[in-house]
Amino acid sequence: MSDSAEKNEPAKPVVGNPITRWLGSLVFALTVVLLLALACIAGTLIPQGSQVESYLSQPGGHQVIELLMTLGLTRVFYSWWFVGLLFALAASLMVCTGRRYRAISRATGAARLRVIGSFITHISLLLVLAGGVVRVIWGQKGVIQFREGQTVNSAESSEGVMPLPFEIRLTKFELEFHKKTATTNADQVDQLQVEWTAKHQLVQFPVVLNVERSVVAPDAPAGAPPAFKIRVLHYVPDFTVDAATGDVKSRSDTPNNPAVQVEAVGGGVTNTQWVFARFPDFGTHGGPDAAMPLTFRYYAVPSDEMGAQRDIKAFRSTVEVIEKGAVIRTQTIAVNSPFSWGGFTFYQTSYNPEDLTWSALQVVRDPGVPIVYAGFILMMAGLTMVFCVGPWLGGQRRTTGELS
Amino acid sequence: MTTNLNMTMLFNVSLAAYFCAMVCAVIGLMSRRRLFDWIANGLIVAGVSIQSVYIGMRWMEAGRAPFSNMFESLVLFGWTVSVVYLLLRFRTKIPWLAAASAALSALALAHASTYESAIRPLMPALQSNWLSFHVMTCFLGYGAFAISAVASIGFLISTRQNSTVQLETRQTLESIVAQTISFGFLFLTLGILTGAVWANSAWGTYWSWDPKETWSLITWLIYAAFLHFNFIRGWRGRRAAWISIIGFFSVLFTYYGVNFLLSGLHSYARS
Repeated sequence: MSDSAEKNEPAKPVVGNPITRWLGSLVFALTVVLLLALACIAGTLIPQGSQVESYLSQPGGHQVIELLMTLGLTRVFYSWWFVGLLFALAASLMVCTGRRYRAISRATGAARLRVIGSFITHISLLLVLAGGVVRVIWGQKGVIQFREGQTVNSAESSEGVMPLPFEIRLTKFELEFHKKTATTNADQVDQLQVEWTAKHQLVQFPVVLNVERSVVAPDAPAGAPPAFKIRVLHYVPDFTVDAATGDVKSRSDTPNNPAVQVEAVGGGVTNTQWVFARFPDFGTHGGPDAAMPLTFRYYAVPSDEMGAQRDIKAFRSTVEVIEKGAVIRTQTIAVNSPFSWGGFTFYQTSYNPEDLTWSALQVVRDPGVPIVYAGFILMMAGLTMVFCVGPWLGGQRRTTGELS
Repeated sequence: MTTNLNMTMLFNVSLAAYFCAMVCAVIGLMSRRRLFDWIANGLIVAGVSIQSVYIGMRWMEAGRAPFSNMFESLVLFGWTVSVVYLLLRFRTKIPWLAAASAALSALALAHASTYESAIRPLMPALQSNWLSFHVMTCFLGYGAFAISAVASIGFLISTRQNSTVQLETRQTLESIVAQTISFGFLFLTLGILTGAVWANSAWGTYWSWDPKETWSLITWLIYAAFLHFNFIRGWRGRRAAWISIIGFFSVLFTYYGVNFLLSGLHSYARS
């Protein structure tokens, strides 16, 4: 670790006891940093936590995973030795911060600003680590899963039940989809196929609401007027019939049972029927009649998992906070828009596409966050002083060793 | 449709500008005529300007910052490399650096063109104002580290035995490596911190040891080590150049490798 630059420096007086000298040495700090970097690499390349199970079934996987588990490499970031490395880093930072504090009085001019910046940066790292410790000791994290109308007063956490000092009720869950954009590929648009039943002749149109399409008879001469005019009147993503009123409605916004209502006008007949993407042979609601020579098929674009994720614009839960039986707050929680109450913060995390009355919220109580955020602010202030303010005021680059 | 055509044209013109800048810079190096150097720099300025318009139009068209998938991030990477080069150009003049940065920008855009460019709506977690700030700061850092790695390679070549490169050029290269790493470190730190704040607002945890986060930390640790060696021990020369190159490999893995080899919160970025 020695180098020529170090050899050329004038000998410095040896101060402090050997332990603090060792903890504050660059060699110790960079050894810890190197070990942390190697541990981080291991933690991303070696299967961690729940990923381990998928490796157990592979040939030879059991022995390898057993060895990795023995070495504590399947839970790297939560292992005692990784936490030990973080504490070693904190010890090194503390000694270095003390040294930098003493160096402030010795430095002058722009160099002084850089030393102050370096001091602030090291303090900020200690704050971030301290915030993490506060989170581990006093923090709580759990999940609430409930349906519309359901009230809960606790969350489930890995340690068991996590009680809340108030009740929370889900009053409404909403799922919102993006509208199809102009940039959507043509083959990603739902299609309506029209067949002359007796002639087996097909035509196909993209499904666009209330746009009239003309269908010419298969044996008609060129230029003959259209035999039928077709329009798609309605679309429902999840077809169902209201038992009380008999009206058609959508059970949810998820395309579980997509259907379109098609109107065909021609030959003195007006026919309106529902056509189902998943049940093409179903007799349809308001179904075909004998005078209708056309058969319809509706092709809905299937959405893969990523496509479905992309199509979802937002999902949000409206909740009520209840204390002593009284509703004291109503709030909507969405992704990126959490809600804090009574020291707990609620985050919208999940939903069930098969049951849109169900919602999952993450509940977090983390008294370390303000400390961590203070660390973030100080870190940027310190680095700005080191890399921007100091050099700008100084005009020239720093001399080697001014921060040591 | 017209907007899409205009945007495609802007993309192609900026790619062509970077490619021509690289060719001019190489000709300038071989012929030792400053005219080509000026033309190369002019073309890089034109490329950055046109690309800025392209990014702005895409931003307006999408109604959000266009930094959410592989195509968009590669476009941004190409832009940041040339922006960092131009910022550096005010202070130092190394002719072949123009060729290298133009080549990197052209390569990034050419590679971006192999990905789907259609504007897609964002998943809920990405619908945040933090997205533009987080990605922009990270990529300014990546752009600076790319220039630093290029300067480091140049330094290593220039310090080989029998090299005819002047001492002044070597010192300038050393200075570029240190300056770009300082700049990149500042922005990478800002990028990591804004990402942490965003993660806390979306998922209730500012750090979850996601592979992308962890590799950002590894990259940050490597460059932090570089800065400590450089500031305190006065490490310059070949050792510093090698750390800079190792750091850029870590940047590439953080940006590219993690997207394709490891799964996590940033998996959307691979598409």
